[in-house]
Amino acid sequence: MNMTVSLILTAFMAVCLLLSASSRLLHCIRMVALQGVLLGVLPCFMWNWESGVPGGEFWFSSFINIAVKGVLLPVMLVRAMHKAGVKRELEPLAGYSWSLLIITVAGALALWLSRSLELSGVPVLAVPAAAMTVFTGLFIIISRRKAITQALGFLAFENGIALFGVAMHLEYGFFVELGILLDVLVLVFVMGIAVFQISREFEHIDADRLNLLTDTEEGK
Amino acid sequence: MNLFPVLSITVPLLTALAAALLKGTYCRTLLLSGSLLHLAFILKSVELRFSGRWIGLTSEYEATLLLLTSLLYLAVTVYCAFWLKAEETSDKSKMVLGICLPLFLSTMTLVLFSQNYGIMWVAIEATTLFSAPLILFHRSGRALEAMWKYLLICSVGIGLALLGTLFLAFAARNGGVVLHDLQIAEFLKIKNSLDPGWYKAAFVLALAGYGTKMGLAPFHTWLPDAHSEAPGAVSALLSAGLLNCSFVGIIRFATAAPAALGNFCSNLLIVLGVISLATAAFFIIHQGDFKRMLAYSSIEHMGIAAIIFALCGMDLTIAHLCAHSAIKMALFLLAGNLLLACGTRQVGKVSGLFTLMPRNAILFLTGTLLICGVPPSPLFVTELKLLCSAPLWLALTVAVLLFIVFAGMTKNVLAMTMGKQGEAEVDAAPAEKLIWVPAAGLIAALVLAVYFWTEFGGMLK
Repeated sequence: MNMTVSLILTAFMAVCLLLSASSRLLHCIRMVALQGVLLGVLPCFMWNWESGVPGGEFWFSSFINIAVKGVLLPVMLVRAMHKAGVKRELEPLAGYSWSLLIITVAGALALWLSRSLELSGVPVLAVPAAAMTVFTGLFIIISRRKAITQALGFLAFENGIALFGVAMHLEYGFFVELGILLDVLVLVFVMGIAVFQISREFEHIDADRLNLLTDTEEGK
Repeated sequence: MNLFPVLSITVPLLTALAAALLKGTYCRTLLLSGSLLHLAFILKSVELRFSGRWIGLTSEYEATLLLLTSLLYLAVTVYCAFWLKAEETSDKSKMVLGICLPLFLSTMTLVLFSQNYGIMWVAIEATTLFSAPLILFHRSGRALEAMWKYLLICSVGIGLALLGTLFLAFAARNGGVVLHDLQIAEFLKIKNSLDPGWYKAAFVLALAGYGTKMGLAPFHTWLPDAHSEAPGAVSALLSAGLLNCSFVGIIRFATAAPAALGNFCSNLLIVLGVISLATAAFFIIHQGDFKRMLAYSSIEHMGIAAIIFALCGMDLTIAHLCAHSAIKMALFLLAGNLLLACGTRQVGKVSGLFTLMPRNAILFLTGTLLICGVPPSPLFVTELKLLCSAPLWLALTVAVLLFIVFAGMTKNVLAMTMGKQGEAEVDAAPAEKLIWVPAAGLIAALVLAVYFWTEFGGMLK
């Protein structure tokens, strides 16, 4: 079991690298969906099977995680992508080679810093993988121009936080988990509508070109 | 007994559903009836104190804020009933308003009733989601930009707060406590066993996260845009209702601090409070847009509230929040009136309002003086109490910054109200009829002032 958990956490870190290096939006959406599926599957491998089979809530929660993050959200994002008519993020604020380098360095730093944290019962790669995913999400939000890519970055960020929760065996309670998933679902729905409205109003979806609102005189 | 809180959360959901099905017709009736029912349920709920696993009402401050939110919502819906007619809104926009306003109210109520850090997080994130479409009411490019910034920045901030919640749970586990879920009451009982390192990280993240939603600088960048682009009624709810709910998130983290870390939390709150005050003062001075000016004033008052909470305790903080809400609601509704009449938010293009729109002008000037803390404002009492309790360096800094804000705001408002008619074409008649709700808000603030003097005035001597 430890081996599988380590494999899954390594896969998380690899997906972060793939996410930061690709300009194809469809590919990025699939990577974030893959993170969601891995998140849904991870609790099954972290469960202590010797203490018995987990109850219905556990399976339902895994299923809902995979259904929402692995299927529903990607479908909504692909639809938003088609409606806005964009397929690639062509001119990010940080180039793709630089992005890859920065995320790799961040991963290495996370691994090095988490050595000083002595956490019992938590897999060794858990904190670095989660920290790297959170950082990747934030980095994508900051360094990409298109609104859809920023939404994807947010999803990666949420996945990283959820990974912290799962890896540290923290239970929120069933309703809270459902509530969090529902929130993310509605958020992506609202963001999809916003992206469509932005593309209709401005004929582009570059968030950094949205600069009408400012306090300085030149902007008025 | 537990029925009324549950009803106060679910009945607005039903009115939202009805608004969706009716596609915008009877919107005003639905909004008004929803708000009256909500007030009735809240009045019944605050008579009792009860604690539950998910929702409950255990303290005075939650009860006060619930009442405040409900009364605020009622005032705003009464205003909307007349304003929607004056603005001649389309059925589609009315439908969005009819769906999102009750959902927004429902989630704010859930934040205040929640007894679990997880549910509180879900509710605060939900308030972001349901208030975002309201910002888009005017459907302009600027409103779209404001909405996108609001959605992204607030969601990232609240995501950090979720990380903080996880760290808090881990702090409990590291301290040797076995907790099955994130109940607030449990954390208050075991707070001295929390691991201090993990608690500090949790508090910093929660302060950054919920502070983003509350409008504390330097996380405030979305606030001037969102509160100025939204229509007056929505800005009133955002500034006067939502910021309080986000502050409750920070309060609940701070009250769970282990005894040794109380100073750490207070110091952080004071630092962010002073930065917010300074940011607001800096941006109000040459502010050319009167709604942005009011938004920066909200940032200023949230900074002051954070400092008051760190130095003077809960009662004065809640008093400050209540007074700020009443006056800010009135001011944003009046700003909505001015926008309706003049068609512009630029201070430079609007002048001579005393002659053109006397009722709105007088109320706007009075409201500005009250929000700056000029006696007989209730905020004068709370700010004076703060200055008396603070160490000298802090009191001087706060006093200077408050004075700068006062100078900036009154300069703008006097420029708008005095003189002859400016560039803008003014259509005063519809706006002059919409003054009753803002007037009621200012009168409520003056009543609060009398109450504050009797409550807190004695302590000043």
